[in-house]
Amino acid sequence: MKHFANFSKVVAAGALAVAMSSAAMAADGLNFPNLTYRTGPFAGTGTPIMNGQRDYMLMLNERDGGIGGVPVDYIECETGYNTNKGVECYEKTKGDALVTQPWSTGITLQVMPRTNVDRIPILAPGYGFSPMSDGNTFAWAFNPPVSYWDGAYMILDYIAKGDMSSLKGKKIVLLHLDHPFGKEPIPLLQKLSEMHGFELVPVPVGLKEMQNQSAQWLQIRRERPDNVVMWGWGAMNAGAITEAVKTRYPIENFIGIWWSGSDADLQNVGAKAKGYKSISFNVPGNYPVMDDIRKHVVSKGKSHVKSDADLDTVFYQRGIILSLYLAEAAKTAQEHFGVKNINPEQLRWGLENLNITEARLEELGMKGMTPPLQMGCDNHTGHAGAWMLEWNGEEFVRVSDMLKPDRELIKPLELEKAAEYAKNNAPWPGRGDLACN
Amino acid sequence: METLYSVFIDPFVQMFELPDFFLQVLWEGLVSGVLYSLIALGFVLIFKSSRIFNFAQGIMVVFAALSLVGLHSFLVPFVGNEFVAAAIAMPLTLGIMYALAMGVERMVLRPLVGQPDIILFMATIGITMFLIGFGEFVFGGENKVMITEALGIPTGSIEFEPFGGFLLLEEKDVFAVVMAIVLVVSLLVFLNKSAMGRAIRALGDDHTAALSVGISLSTIWVLVWFIAGVIALATGIVWGARAGVSFALEVIAYKALPVLMLGGLESVSGAIIGGIAIGLLEKIFEIYWGQPLFGGNTETWFAFIFALIVLLFRPQGLFGEKIIERV
Repeated sequence: MKHFANFSKVVAAGALAVAMSSAAMAADGLNFPNLTYRTGPFAGTGTPIMNGQRDYMLMLNERDGGIGGVPVDYIECETGYNTNKGVECYEKTKGDALVTQPWSTGITLQVMPRTNVDRIPILAPGYGFSPMSDGNTFAWAFNPPVSYWDGAYMILDYIAKGDMSSLKGKKIVLLHLDHPFGKEPIPLLQKLSEMHGFELVPVPVGLKEMQNQSAQWLQIRRERPDNVVMWGWGAMNAGAITEAVKTRYPIENFIGIWWSGSDADLQNVGAKAKGYKSISFNVPGNYPVMDDIRKHVVSKGKSHVKSDADLDTVFYQRGIILSLYLAEAAKTAQEHFGVKNINPEQLRWGLENLNITEARLEELGMKGMTPPLQMGCDNHTGHAGAWMLEWNGEEFVRVSDMLKPDRELIKPLELEKAAEYAKNNAPWPGRGDLACN
Repeated sequence: METLYSVFIDPFVQMFELPDFFLQVLWEGLVSGVLYSLIALGFVLIFKSSRIFNFAQGIMVVFAALSLVGLHSFLVPFVGNEFVAAAIAMPLTLGIMYALAMGVERMVLRPLVGQPDIILFMATIGITMFLIGFGEFVFGGENKVMITEALGIPTGSIEFEPFGGFLLLEEKDVFAVVMAIVLVVSLLVFLNKSAMGRAIRALGDDHTAALSVGISLSTIWVLVWFIAGVIALATGIVWGARAGVSFALEVIAYKALPVLMLGGLESVSGAIIGGIAIGLLEKIFEIYWGQPLFGGNTETWFAFIFALIVLLFRPQGLFGEKIIERV
């Protein structure tokens, strides 16, 4: 018993030492929490992306000693894509955090008011609330490189082959998750429908129906739409593509948003889904940066990926791009303020002044992997553009030139909805004391 | 007037005008109903023998399917043949489900004997949390493809042209219906004709009386949890064949709740008839009333409303036992 007591003391002392050293490390490094969802119904979407995000940060630590010589503390807090757990994770990780990455439109909307008070930037790349682009209203929120409204416009532009008037008289189904994320493109699509005379038919998919969408696809069979646009996440994507194949819907007329284009979603139907398309702000390929990740992370057994083939997937490489935005913003802030250990406010400045040029992408070994991106005070999205990818039966390949959103059309709607949000959440601080420079 | 027309006339006009489409709706409803019945059966069996509402039934579906797919992918490089690997993976998965049943009985149920029902219910939530974490740790969270062809499940489709229209039956859906029927009949025979089956029913009727005649609580609990594991595996295979294997399969367990409300928690036949009734009715309602009148997605709530209405008239469910407690 005495030995056991001594042993307990040693263990306790050891644990305390480890905890203290971890805390010290956390204080010394760049603390980048990520509110991940590697479990639950949406894990199929989350896991490869989070693997990519994590591996890029680990690679920077291994290869460069971090960012500007400061190691990155990449911390994951598991939410299971559940909004309540997401808010808990935000509260739990915000202490030393330089940023929060909420990873769902629902969580983003919940934590957004808190980040104004806590003065922590939100990085919600490719998701969140489209009006977040208005930096004068949402000073602490960023959603590069394109918003959902940009995505909706670009998909329709692709369908219309650049001539939106050709959509007149057509019927377009929006198959969407019945969730804030899935409903996000509806205001813009309704506006486009009124402008260009096509019929928009929203078809919601409930959380419990994601794996059995027979009712939704019976409706699609009855409606006979010219095109189906999908706003799906997680298991909904595989469920929809399987049903589309089953009901003999012309698969080439089926296009998904960028979260509906994971290689894993297509494995269930394989070659039968040849022709399915998904818009994407990254193109998978064997870029020089991948060699560095293989060398510094994967070959050392530090990655969570199960096989080398996982590194070539759209979503894994998208995870790399998302971490790139954060790393480059931190570097921008370090250089501007002349400090290595930046604070959240300085990182916010770095995000607002982020400029990833073609030359910089080439320098990073990522040329062609993602569009160049420049953000600004009134542009927290960048609206960089995207490409259309097509499933060739085995993998996604690029089938379009760069697509661009019509900013003249979308921006007024963003400003209107941003003002509406600020009014509904008054007193909303807006830019407050933050100068635009 | 227009509303009355769309509620009382138009749906029936549509059914009459497009009879092939109506048949397709009925088939899809039947398939969904059979699958709901399978999930509900797992709940009923455990409740019948131990009065525990097993919250972990949904994650058991995921865990069983992940084990089968995971073992198969692990074995393929060693045996070099997909079919042989599946033939080995299947009994190994059943072994895992048996080990899980043993573990649950030894580590969770046995120490809690005599505790209130709510404690046992909470314990099954604990089992759920454990299986989510353990499953994610071992198999990862990525979507996986069910080994449909290696298991010999047909993947083609059968097409008909009734009334000059088009009706399509997926062979794997036909397989699911046939498998569910075989499973249910076997279960009914086992429960009614075998000594073990009678012991399960006796335990469900009265724990103390069953124990007094020498029925082993531990053996029966292990057996029942194992059978629930087998049902979970069957459910995982047929649902996984439809849209892949992922943690999202857990969510479908919630579809069994209205089935249980309707059929009664103790009734095997209630689970089957309740499941098929809900599958058919929610599909018909969604297509002919839900989508035109409510904008769709009525499957989320229709079954609960329907079950609540039934409960107003039969609080024990359609097939549940009416319990009279004397004070």
